Amino acid sequence: MAEFLTDIQGIWEIVRFPLGALMCLAGALLCLVGTVGVLRFPDIYTRLHAASITDTSGAALVLIGMMLLSPGWLIVAKLFAICVFLFLTSPAASHALANAAHTAGVQPIIGRVGSSDADGEDA
Amino acid sequence: MHAMFNGDFGVILVNIFLLGILFAVAIAIARMRSLFAIVMLSGMYSLVSAAWYVAIDAVDVAFTEAAVGAGMSTVVLLGAMLLTSRTAKPEKFFFRLGPLLVCLATGAALIYATVDLPALGDATSAANAGVGYTYLQVGWFDTGIPNIVTPVLASYRGFDTLGETTVVFVAGLAVALLLGFGERSLAERIRNEGRTSNRGSKKAPAVSDEDPA
Amino acid sequence: MNTDHHVILRVVAKMLIPVIVIFAFYVQFHGDFGPGGGFQAGVIIAVAIILYALIFGVPAAMRAVPPAFTRSLAAVGVMIYAGVGFWALLQGGQFLEYQALFHEPPGEHHGQHIGIMVIEIGVLCGVSGAMLTIFYAFAGRVAEIRDEDW
Repeated sequence: MAEFLTDIQGIWEIVRFPLGALMCLAGALLCLVGTVGVLRFPDIYTRLHAASITDTSGAALVLIGMMLLSPGWLIVAKLFAICVFLFLTSPAASHALANAAHTAGVQPIIGRVGSSDADGEDA
Repeated sequence: MHAMFNGDFGVILVNIFLLGILFAVAIAIARMRSLFAIVMLSGMYSLVSAAWYVAIDAVDVAFTEAAVGAGMSTVVLLGAMLLTSRTAKPEKFFFRLGPLLVCLATGAALIYATVDLPALGDATSAANAGVGYTYLQVGWFDTGIPNIVTPVLASYRGFDTLGETTVVFVAGLAVALLLGFGERSLAERIRNEGRTSNRGSKKAPAVSDEDPA
Repeated sequence: MNTDHHVILRVVAKMLIPVIVIFAFYVQFHGDFGPGGGFQAGVIIAVAIILYALIFGVPAAMRAVPPAFTRSLAAVGVMIYAGVGFWALLQGGQFLEYQALFHEPPGEHHGQHIGIMVIEIGVLCGVSGAMLTIFYAFAGRVAEIRDEDW
């Protein structure tokens, strides 16, 4: 049994680096997707949706990847704290932005994809 | 080719990337008219420069920059912006020419001066060779404090820090003398509360009932 | 119908403000061992109270932390700092000479630790008080941030 446990530990030591790198890569890809979305989407609500992908999923995946790569428990704890605060603040910030836009009377653009902007302004 | 991928290359890449972001943000600030966007961008400038300070191992400066530049000054600038108009007036072309020339001349002089700057962390540079090196050597014996920045700031340069604290205090005093202590809004609020019980809840439905058309 | 638009912000801010203040005190008292110190901690405490003012309104913040308190805090901070200097003078040393606080020979660090800690507290009080005074001076002149401006 003890041998098996040490075996698991050895396997984990080998596996965690590629796994962490993969997580970091996935997070970076999500950040890229979010950035493209911010640049390409038509109105504030969809852009906010893309930006909040970068804020939450992208950052969380990168942080989890860094936790897997980290050498000690202290760093894991610090990264976990960062993760918790990010999960508290980023959605709240997105909500505040969307709420502000809604209260200021910004209407989402509704209509078929590729239809003219005038369509959206009429809605 | 192999030399490109050693440890220094990544650091250089991060530095170039962060400084490039700073440059782009500065250009955007100079070209914008909306004061709200300018305030937000200046907060972003502080945050990116804080990240850059971390990259060049100036953690204390980075901390201060993140707290003061991105947190405090953004809020104070927003408060100042709410007192004035929301957009800057565009200057005439002729009046923009003078500041541009001054900026170009200063920038050229600074770039010319960077040629003579010592490398980062150079042990023979003026900052590291003189009294700074002495502090690093005797700091532990004199004060027994591991972070060398704290004894330099508070013990060796205690007099300067007293002056800095006084400057901050005097700055707050001067702003308060110019703008008042801000107790007027509290007094107004209390007066309003005496008149109508809750103004906010009455106004909110009017906004949401607004016709979307 | 619940017409309170900012309920999520209020809840998140209520969770975060104590953590921000605790972090400020960590920065304050950990300044001997890591980055940080009185100046940063003072700004962070000021930012925590400003966050409270932004979310719950400036009058509520003024009731919690009155402007009279912040401006006296700024003055008291500078007084604490200068007071350490005069304490050293009274002990027979020079102005701000921490070594003289407890009449220690070189190599003993008790006076240095105490002196630096007290002046850092002075810096904390001075900076947070001055920052909050500046914020109140600006925010007190602006009419309440209306709902349309959010």
